[in-house]
Amino acid sequence: MNTLRYLTGGSADLFWPGVLTLLIVATVCSLLSVVVVLKRMAFVGQGVSHAGFGGVGIAAALGVTTSAPVTLSIVLAFCIASAFLIAALSRRRDTEPDTAIGVVLVGAMALGSVLLHLAHQWHPAERVPGWEGVLFGSILFSGWAEAMWSAGVAAIILALATWFRRPVLAWAFDESGAEAMGVRVGAIRSLVLVLITLAIVLAMKVVGVVLATALLVLPAATALSLSDRWRPVLILSVLCGIGGAAAGLVLSFEADWPSGAAVVLSLVGIYAIARITRTSSARR
Amino acid sequence: MHTEPANEIAIDIRDVSFAYPRSGGTPLVALEHVSIQVRAGERLGILGPNGGGKSTLLKLMLGLLTPGSGEILICGRPPHEARRARRVGYVPQRVEAELAFPISAREAVLMAIELGTPPWAGRSRGSRDLASECLERVGANAFADRPVGSLSGGQLQRVMIARALGRRPRVLLMDEPTVGIDPSGQQRFGELVSRLRTELGLTIVIVSHDVRAIAAGCDRVACLSRTLHYHDAPAGLTPAVLAEVFKHDLAAVFGDVHMDAHRAAECATPAHSHTHAHGPGCPHDHSTRPHEGSAEGET
Repeated sequence: MNTLRYLTGGSADLFWPGVLTLLIVATVCSLLSVVVVLKRMAFVGQGVSHAGFGGVGIAAALGVTTSAPVTLSIVLAFCIASAFLIAALSRRRDTEPDTAIGVVLVGAMALGSVLLHLAHQWHPAERVPGWEGVLFGSILFSGWAEAMWSAGVAAIILALATWFRRPVLAWAFDESGAEAMGVRVGAIRSLVLVLITLAIVLAMKVVGVVLATALLVLPAATALSLSDRWRPVLILSVLCGIGGAAAGLVLSFEADWPSGAAVVLSLVGIYAIARITRTSSARR
Repeated sequence: MHTEPANEIAIDIRDVSFAYPRSGGTPLVALEHVSIQVRAGERLGILGPNGGGKSTLLKLMLGLLTPGSGEILICGRPPHEARRARRVGYVPQRVEAELAFPISAREAVLMAIELGTPPWAGRSRGSRDLASECLERVGANAFADRPVGSLSGGQLQRVMIARALGRRPRVLLMDEPTVGIDPSGQQRFGELVSRLRTELGLTIVIVSHDVRAIAAGCDRVACLSRTLHYHDAPAGLTPAVLAEVFKHDLAAVFGDVHMDAHRAAECATPAHSHTHAHGPGCPHDHSTRPHEGSAEGET
């Protein structure tokens, strides 16, 4: 069993920060995914996560990628700016939301690739992150500092989500009704965008910018195919997220697969099983 | 629940005009010099074509827009204050709610009741009792614990009304409440609204482009198409008035700006169709659209 060997052997310190970061990220993303799926914000998440590539490019061009907190702050700021740019463009009558997301997504990806290319020339002595690492992530990229940073950000996300749960749910269920009941829907939409962006930035390190959205879609999609009750959906979503992350890690250790891809494949597998189970029970 | 003293003005709309700003162009005028007064306990129907300013007036009454000129008072207060003080309940078009949401009808009502309570406060017995009371009032007890996505159009509408009642309002604003509901469902809706008005003393405003929904049971009707064309009892709602109000809508469909007013009147008159105010071929004829709010399953 590679899994036991990696997690209890002499190299355990190399793996545990990434494992804990992944489990924290999976928990937070699974909870937020319920709102993401119900409010049809998956493609917004896709745009924001890909924008992270531009943020990494900026950090690399500035030569600060050796400092995890500085890099994460730059990526976070860039992603939040991209999220609000998407929201601002989408509000214009002449721009459809998917067009706005497409423009920001490809713009940030192109900017990131140019800046990473330039960073190799500008800072030849520094360890500039490679394409593959940024796009697909790895649990090996997380040290204890990143794990602690992730735990802190996750606690902030959970605290804000709990504090504002009532207006967020009212907004998600019936936006015009919520506005008429005094909910500041613009502020709530912005808050949800920021929370999603924070979660995506956390997820990027361990599963990469390409696969980060998976954690914000698949857990809730699975839970919603199994239940139509609020609490069971929340619980099932978190269980799916953590279960998919754990199964993916084991798969990654045992088969020597890339960790991010293994986690996402596990989540897809769980989703497929849930759909098949639902379809077969509906036929009976 | 609250009641207003008789003859008190619950909604006072005084000479209100509103225009939407347009980048690089002249503002789009939605309402011009509209004045409407609604007495406490009265049921007013606001009728008009699409783009006639009905939704704008509703948003102004809810305090979501501010008049360019003129003034609106709800229970003697500016709309945003009345909304904050929970004087106003709003029933949105049911299509606006996310029906895939994994909550029961009861939870949808509780969600409205608990809005504004401190984040640290849990679910109280008072909230639960109020939710049960509101659901019972609208006749939704039998399906209170069913997921909202499994409800028929008529059932869901009752839940949305219970949601609005959960705020204990004095004024109830309803936006296109009969859209997608079949004739028998519409009749039950009319009976429910009458009962709520009698039991709770609510002032009720129904906004619709459907003459039948407006004419049945309303004390007065306001016909709106940018300006106020008519504001009196439904009995005075003649084909000529309706033709004038719906002129733009019909012209858009028939492509004749100077269309025959008589033809418009025929389309718009309530006696023209058994199931709907507008006859076949008229722009508001929904008779070919499948109704989601089946009478079956209603309790």
